[in-house]
Amino acid sequence: MKKIKKQNAARLLEKWQKEFTVFVPSKASGVAQMAVWDGQDLAFLEHNRNTVIPPKANFLPSIQKMFGFRKEEGGYVLEPTDEDPPKQLLFGIHPCDARAIAIIDMVFKDAYEDRYYLSRRQNTVLVGTACTSPYDNCFCTSLGFGPADATDVDIMLTDIGDSFLIEEITDRGKEVLAGAKDVMAATAADEKKARAVKESAKARVSTKIDTDEIGKRLPLVFDDRKFWEEISAKCVSCGICTFLCPTCYCFDINDEMLRDGSGARYRNWDCCSFAVYTKMPAENPREDKWRRVRQKVYHKYAFYPELFGIIGCTGCGRCIRQCPVNWDITQTLNSLPAGTPTKKQETQKSS
Amino acid sequence: MTREIEQKLRAEARNLLEKGKVDRVIGYGAGSLRFATTPLIISDKGDADRLVVNPFIHNNLSVFLPDLCGKVAIVAKVCDARSIISLVQNKQIAREDVFIIGVPCSGIIDLAKVQKLTGLDRDEIGDMSWKGDKVAVTFAGGSKEFSAGEVLADSCLGCDCSGFQEFDLVIGEIKPLAGGKDLSRNKIQEMEAMSPAQRWEFWKNEFSRCIRCYACRQICPVCFCERCFVEETEPLWVSPLPKWQDNLIFQAVRMMHVAGRCTDCGECERACPANIPLGILTGKMEDIVEELFQYRAGMDKDAPPLMAAYQPEEAENLMR
Repeated sequence: MKKIKKQNAARLLEKWQKEFTVFVPSKASGVAQMAVWDGQDLAFLEHNRNTVIPPKANFLPSIQKMFGFRKEEGGYVLEPTDEDPPKQLLFGIHPCDARAIAIIDMVFKDAYEDRYYLSRRQNTVLVGTACTSPYDNCFCTSLGFGPADATDVDIMLTDIGDSFLIEEITDRGKEVLAGAKDVMAATAADEKKARAVKESAKARVSTKIDTDEIGKRLPLVFDDRKFWEEISAKCVSCGICTFLCPTCYCFDINDEMLRDGSGARYRNWDCCSFAVYTKMPAENPREDKWRRVRQKVYHKYAFYPELFGIIGCTGCGRCIRQCPVNWDITQTLNSLPAGTPTKKQETQKSS
Repeated sequence: MTREIEQKLRAEARNLLEKGKVDRVIGYGAGSLRFATTPLIISDKGDADRLVVNPFIHNNLSVFLPDLCGKVAIVAKVCDARSIISLVQNKQIAREDVFIIGVPCSGIIDLAKVQKLTGLDRDEIGDMSWKGDKVAVTFAGGSKEFSAGEVLADSCLGCDCSGFQEFDLVIGEIKPLAGGKDLSRNKIQEMEAMSPAQRWEFWKNEFSRCIRCYACRQICPVCFCERCFVEETEPLWVSPLPKWQDNLIFQAVRMMHVAGRCTDCGECERACPANIPLGILTGKMEDIVEELFQYRAGMDKDAPPLMAAYQPEEAENLMR
């Protein structure tokens, strides 16, 4: 393994800046999000907690131009968007948010090839940092990984005091690190220190859920209207939990058109908590609030496992921290009634 | 003191449910986050002990009233109670269906201000509590005391609870806050000192962060339209794309729509995940409404709604 002294980390970022647009966690805009590094601010090297706006915005921007169009005799002429996908490097992404990108991949890369997403995804390098200060309501360790898990990044950095230990995870990671002047070989003592840092980070994640039990109970409580009504009573149906969720990807499509018939088609974030969700093309099948709240829980904890074999939540805690009424998904998951199997489910089980 | 009020509230809530005087009680329950409470809607008297009262009861619970059927008792600070009356004035709820339980409020401690002053996040703060007229904040390796003016929400600093008569029951004593209207209008005065160009720049920057989650609208008790103008598609009033210009139009129109209904309770600003200082707009709007019409929303249940009532003798002939 390798390492770099913290005081030299800026030079590494400068090297990457020559090839990439380098994004770092920043509060400069007034809200914590991944922002283009200004070449000065290095606060994130010392203090890096989950941003409010998740890094999914770098792949599924809140405004995505799909194509332009203009009216000509006999119809419309489409003008493909000529916007070059940015070659970007995300520095300081946490394992939960990197896992979230891997989860979105399953929908936008594997199940369907979405070129807008892929053009960004394929042009991106993820440089992760082990999350050494998880929030008190983070629960990533209940979801099969942890705050220092390096699986989903290209390069992983762990803060070992005056230096970062560097793990090159992918070939792409090795490539972008090649020729970096200040990178040195790590000693056994450095690696030992990093292991201790990772262990202590893991121990700090105190909120827990039991995914096995949840997996067993969810199929049994879908029709428990009373439970879902109670759980959802305080929800005000805003878009915070989904917009700030690192794995929520629903989008709406809107055209902006001038009087002469020219314009452009855009994608923007949409949210299943909204009462008007999918009302434009048809009807919202979930008019009642409790159905919408149930959908959010099931999409992450039942439908994702069924379709992709993974839970669509990374335990980043944003939906809890930012919720204006402190609706807490872990409380819902931890209070699912044991339920009773329906006849249909029992028949399925025995057959 | 708080403990005593909490006990009294629980007893009253239990009693109301037990005697069948109300079908539900809306109050505050313990939050899962530090320094947070969460709305608690109960119909079983056994749940009355889950009600809490503390300096973090920020939610304006009247937002839930129009959707609840039957008789409802609601725990309210003065600002929330004004929203309830505002809903009555605007015929969204019937006065006799609501039983308003007033609780004393020393002002809501604005977590964002404390975080800014200490440089700490919510979960890095050890404790936060009133110590006389100061708020004592403890954290690993120290403690600090702040004045009410430093840490109370702006809307609370401008709180004027005098003259409100609509509580059905008051637990404890409701007293004016230690803030001062001037303190609460600091940001507005800064804004007024700016040139129009500077102001435009300021709001451009603020609304660039808006993600159109509509939390400001959803948390607002007086944003009660069944269909919001931003959801109209034929014609399209505002683009659903979160461009700053459209974000600004959305908020400006929302503010105009709630003028005369808004009580400057501060919930929209508190809910905003992008930290947009909406309180500047609600505060200024309340001032304008008071200055032009000598009207304060939610003070008198019999007063006609400011923007939705028309008198034949009015000078404007728009409605004739």
